[in-house]
Amino acid sequence: MNVLNGAWPKLTTSDEFRFLSELVITRSSADHTIVRLRDHHTGTTRFANNQVIQNVDARRGSLAVTVAFGGRHGTAATTDFTAGAIQDTLARAERIARISPVDPEYLGPPDPCLIPVRETAKPETMAAGPPKRLEYANEAIGHCRMENIMAAGVVSSSATTVGIAADNGLFCYEPRADARFSLTVQAGDASGWSAAAHRSIDHLRIQERTLAAIAKSKRGRDAYELPSGRYSVILEPAAVAGLWAWLIWSLDAKSYMKGTSPFTGKLGQAIVDERLTLRNVPDHTDLLGEGFTHEGLPSSSSEWIDHGTLKQLAYDRFTAKAQGVKTIPTLEAPALAVEGPPSHSIQDLIKSTERAILVTNFWYIRPVNPHDLTLTGMTRDGTFLVEKGEIVSPIRNFRFHESPLQAFQQLTSWTAPMEAVTSETGKMLVPAMALPHFHFSSVTRF
Amino acid sequence: MSTPAWDEFAELALNRIAASGAEYGDIRVQDSSTEHLQGEDRRIASIRDTRDIGFGVRVLYHGAWGFAASSVLSLEEVPRVADLAIEIAKSSASVAIEKVRLAPEPVHHDRIVTPYRTDPFSVPLEKKTDLLLNTMEVLQSQSGIARSSASLWARRDRKLFVSSEGTHVEFDLLAGQGDCMATALHEGRFASRSFNTPHLRRGYELIEEADFLREAPRVADQAIEKVKASAVDAGQYDLVLDPEHLSLTIHESCGHPSELDRALGYEANYAGTSFLTTEKRGNFHYGSRHVNLVADNTESETLAATGYDDDGVACQKWDIIRHGIFVGYCTNREVAPKIGESRSCGSNRADGWANIPMVRIANIGLEPGEATRDQLIADVKRGIYIEGHGSYSIDQRRYNFQFGGDAFWLIENGRRTHMLRDVIYHGITPEFWTSCDGVADRSFRQRYGFITCGKGQPGQSGWMTHAASPARFRQVQVIRGEGSS
Repeated sequence: MNVLNGAWPKLTTSDEFRFLSELVITRSSADHTIVRLRDHHTGTTRFANNQVIQNVDARRGSLAVTVAFGGRHGTAATTDFTAGAIQDTLARAERIARISPVDPEYLGPPDPCLIPVRETAKPETMAAGPPKRLEYANEAIGHCRMENIMAAGVVSSSATTVGIAADNGLFCYEPRADARFSLTVQAGDASGWSAAAHRSIDHLRIQERTLAAIAKSKRGRDAYELPSGRYSVILEPAAVAGLWAWLIWSLDAKSYMKGTSPFTGKLGQAIVDERLTLRNVPDHTDLLGEGFTHEGLPSSSSEWIDHGTLKQLAYDRFTAKAQGVKTIPTLEAPALAVEGPPSHSIQDLIKSTERAILVTNFWYIRPVNPHDLTLTGMTRDGTFLVEKGEIVSPIRNFRFHESPLQAFQQLTSWTAPMEAVTSETGKMLVPAMALPHFHFSSVTRF
Repeated sequence: MSTPAWDEFAELALNRIAASGAEYGDIRVQDSSTEHLQGEDRRIASIRDTRDIGFGVRVLYHGAWGFAASSVLSLEEVPRVADLAIEIAKSSASVAIEKVRLAPEPVHHDRIVTPYRTDPFSVPLEKKTDLLLNTMEVLQSQSGIARSSASLWARRDRKLFVSSEGTHVEFDLLAGQGDCMATALHEGRFASRSFNTPHLRRGYELIEEADFLREAPRVADQAIEKVKASAVDAGQYDLVLDPEHLSLTIHESCGHPSELDRALGYEANYAGTSFLTTEKRGNFHYGSRHVNLVADNTESETLAATGYDDDGVACQKWDIIRHGIFVGYCTNREVAPKIGESRSCGSNRADGWANIPMVRIANIGLEPGEATRDQLIADVKRGIYIEGHGSYSIDQRRYNFQFGGDAFWLIENGRRTHMLRDVIYHGITPEFWTSCDGVADRSFRQRYGFITCGKGQPGQSGWMTHAASPARFRQVQVIRGEGSS
């Protein structure tokens, strides 16, 4: 056996999950029994200072059993798939559920329904092993060595089988693949960055993204300091995604209903520029759409913000039922679009700009004030001053202090949506955008 | 503790590694149990009992690492995974430029057990759910409190570490924590106040001593006062920071920059590098003479006090900052030799069997001074007293930071007066620590642990504890944490 060729391990199949879940369900004495599977095989080749520093491969299978007696429920999980361990896991879940207080928000498993079949498991990614990852890492390192620039980054790929089954006949199973590449290059004090995530490992575009990061770093030498303050900005897609991720994560319906959401009272109202529309597009080949959720609900296309107006909230099942929401929308494949003719490229955005700060990416974005969704974070790996249609100088990194609900009230210009992924957010399709006002509250000194 | 079968698995793996010609290898077999009870708005939202069992094999072949891991713990899987780790190490070696050289470490045979009075896993769940429900009831019975939460967490790690050098260590480690929070509503605004026990390696006595029911009325009162408080006016303030707040400041602005792998560029693509570059060791003014930051992985009950790290290196105590000068790093066996150290300080840890260990922040604490907390406050004309964790963010070299907090009080003419809201302070790390002109004495010292410190690709959670007494910082830039500023 050659373990490097991707033949190991064999992940839990649909039939095997059905066997395991039936083993649990038939032995359960509870009113409701739900079994969840996540069998995950992942590998990462990590490099820094132009050489591989870490090369890892791991498989973790986990099975979680949730049972309920009336409104009393409990969950136990294990990574041990032997019959004795699964029996023990069921017993632990039952023991918890029997003594749990009644949960007034408990709902049994959702009714079985048709789950959309999506191409979530690209065979080239499922089969990729350490040699493929090493080949891609070497490609990125090679380009950087030729330029006498230091590279740090990762190439990773994973294959996962996910399932949920319940005693009411609910049965969902889906294999999912994921590949990622990210690269930070250092040219003296300047750095450049690029990243990708895709269902297909063949879609990472290693060369193109490596050359983009190198170009950023070369352009970033001898940065000078601009004072903090309010500036016009051009945000590249990763920077836009970093801000929108926090907006999306704040759409929780229960918080909305209880008055502890930045959106409370704003459903049906304009919250951002009226040309902006946010949709879930799970069938898009460049997004990471799924067939079903952790609860066994089908993922679907949906509209969340329509021409700037908040149309949808993120519901848990209890809140949805309480609010009479019959179909719970999902938002795992977000796509943000702007109505109107886009610029052809980021370069065109720059050409049409009189004066602005160009931001490649933000880092360590965290909420400052949950009431108005004020966020903070730093620019990173490529911040430039644009004047009269050209990048005139790299500048030192800024800290911002801004709410996306304020920043995206007014757009100056934009591109068509592009793939965007950062180390702290999921994947989105978003345009690069020029915004007239953005608050940089302090500046760093390197 | 470990079973005879685990020793058999370890022997199987190490035999394969020895036969491969690798210069070093180790195996970690781990069985982790976690119990997490989560209450929300007067209900028990979830009780989850998780067992996570598996093993990871690490191989150093011709100066390059390979690592493989699996949750299938069997006589067939162990050699297969060991072979995979060897093959990955060989392929890494084929492209390696600079060979990894491990700092020497004596061979250890030991057994580490966390001392505790009451095993949290033996405490009846009914008692725990009653505690959470009663706590939330007290919180939410206060007029103006719209939401409440409370949780309990406990974890036991049974682990075996065996290396090709002969080290054999068994671990039975325990940790626990609990917290509660109230959220108040007022005129369309909301604000939260929390109470947390530290994460510590203690038994359920940690929770019992914390006495949530005694603390809950204060927490609710302060949430209401906070939401009604006036917003801070931006400007320069003297700050007096409590130990829980300082634990986060120390973690971000001293702990991470002192990780040598970061200073060497290993983390450049994700969490970033460090402004504490190697030429600064021994001469860089990180803070004032009051600032002594000591790493101590030997202090009982702290999270990084595990006896040995995941290199099999014994836990130690050493200086990071001495009288304001940067003097030491957190290291592992791989990076210590790169700065001429003859031995690792034992800060190499993985977050479980499935991940390769890497340099992790030690238990870094601020050494006590000689003042009392009231004396620190008494010498402030216009300042802010800050408790707890709030918003935080720091750049990728750990230089430009911004922190909030959980509760803020205005200090006027040497006295703590009323609460403020939306306080955010920002600065540059060495300038901030240089503005420290007083630290309270040992009687005020408290310890707070972290279990979600993110680092590495794939990402891992690190565990460490930061201790401090309250400290005073002069003329720090404060801004208002809302969009209108």
